[in-house]
Amino acid sequence: MGTAVSIELVDDRPEAELRDLIGEVCGWLHEVDERFSTYKPDSEVMRFGRGELSTADCSADLRHVLQACADLWRDTDGYFDAYAAGPLDPSGYVKGWSVEVASARLLAAGSTSHYINAGGDIRMRGSHPEGGPWRVGIRHPWESEKLSWVLALHDGAIATSGTYERGDHVINPRTRKPARGLKSVTLVGPDLAIADAYATAALAMGEGALTWLAKLAEAGYQSAVVTDDGRAFSSGKLPAAV
Amino acid sequence: MRRSTAAVVGTLTGAALIVGVRLSVTPPAAPVAGSQVDLAGNNGTPAPKPSSKKPSASPSASKTSGSKKENEADDAAKSGLKDGVYKGKGAANVYGTIQVSIKVEDGKITAADATYPVTGDSARINPPAIEALKEETLQAQSADVAAISGATYTSGSYTESLQAALDAAKA
Repeated sequence: MGTAVSIELVDDRPEAELRDLIGEVCGWLHEVDERFSTYKPDSEVMRFGRGELSTADCSADLRHVLQACADLWRDTDGYFDAYAAGPLDPSGYVKGWSVEVASARLLAAGSTSHYINAGGDIRMRGSHPEGGPWRVGIRHPWESEKLSWVLALHDGAIATSGTYERGDHVINPRTRKPARGLKSVTLVGPDLAIADAYATAALAMGEGALTWLAKLAEAGYQSAVVTDDGRAFSSGKLPAAV
Repeated sequence: MRRSTAAVVGTLTGAALIVGVRLSVTPPAAPVAGSQVDLAGNNGTPAPKPSSKKPSASPSASKTSGSKKENEADDAAKSGLKDGVYKGKGAANVYGTIQVSIKVEDGKITAADATYPVTGDSARINPPAIEALKEETLQAQSADVAAISGATYTSGSYTESLQAALDAAKA
C-alpha cells in the first residue's frame, strides 16, 4: 500500500522558502519510510522485529512508536494491535505520527496555516487561504460522490477508517475474523496518529465501539460513525459545518 | 497569498516513491513553473509527465494581465482551469496503478475517466470504486476534492491522481 500525501501551505513568504519547507517535509516522510517500512528488510522496524536490535539500541523515534503502540493496545482493549498480523507492524501508528511530526516542524518553522492530507487522514492548522476554517468532508460510505458530514476546524486532525474500500479486510485482532457492524468511523481530535488508531480500533470493535467512542468524546476526540445498516452517529461536539 | 502544494506518493509501506512538487500563486492563475522530482519512479509507477507543461506561456500572460484578461477568460478565471484534456500522474496503490484523466471545457470539468488494473482481484475491487469517484469529480470540482476524509486504498490514490490532473489543468 502506498499512501498519497498532499501538503498545502498558506503563507506570504517567498516561494523559495516555501519550496524549502515542502522539501523538508518530503525529506522527513522519506526518512520515515526508510526507517519504519515493513516492506524494507533493512528498515529499523524490521531489524527490531527480527531481534537484531535491542530496545536500548533503538532510535528515540522507534522507542516512542513502540511505547505509543503499547499504550494504544491498552487504551483500545487490544483492538489496536501492532502485532495483529504476526510480526511487528506499527504502520497504523507511524503514518499519523509522521504527519504529526511534519506539521509540528512546519509550525516551528513559522508555517501557521497548512494542511497535510495523508490518504484521507488530515492534519490542519490555521486558516484556509480564503480565510476561515478548513472544511473537510467525510465521505459517504455507499455514495462516494456524497458526503456524510462536512466539518470545519482550524487546528486538529481528522482520520477516517472504513470497510467500504477494503471490503471485509479489516480484521478484528481479538477474533482474527473480519470486523462487522460499522462501515465508517471518523475521529476528530488533537493528534492524527491517535485519531487514526482510534478509528481503526473502533472499526474492529464493531457496534460496541459506540459506547467507547462516547467516552473518548469526553477526552477530546469527537466521532462520526456509520453502521453497516446505514445508521449514523455523531458525538455532540463534532465540529460540523452544516 | 502564496500556496504551495506538494504530493508524495508511496510512503511507509509502499515500494514506489515519487515526489511531485508544484508551487502556485493564487489568485488568479499565475503559475510558477512546477517541478516534478522523480526519486524512484519505477516499480510499475509511470514517471509523472504532465501533458500540459507549458510554463512559457502562462507566467508572462498573467503578469501582464491587467484588464484585458477579465473579459476574455471569464469562465476559466473562475475555476482557474484551462481547456484541454489532462492526465494525472499514475497513482499506485495495492491493487495497481490508477491514472485519472479530466477534460476541461469553458473552465469546467466536463468529463473524467480513469484507467485501472483489470487483472485478478483488481478487476473486482476497482471498477465500482472508480465509477463512484468519477461522479464525485464531475460535481465537486477541484476545491472540494482536496479535503475529503475517507478510507484509504483506491480512493486515496484516486484523489492524489485527480489532484495531479487538476494541477496540470491550472498550469
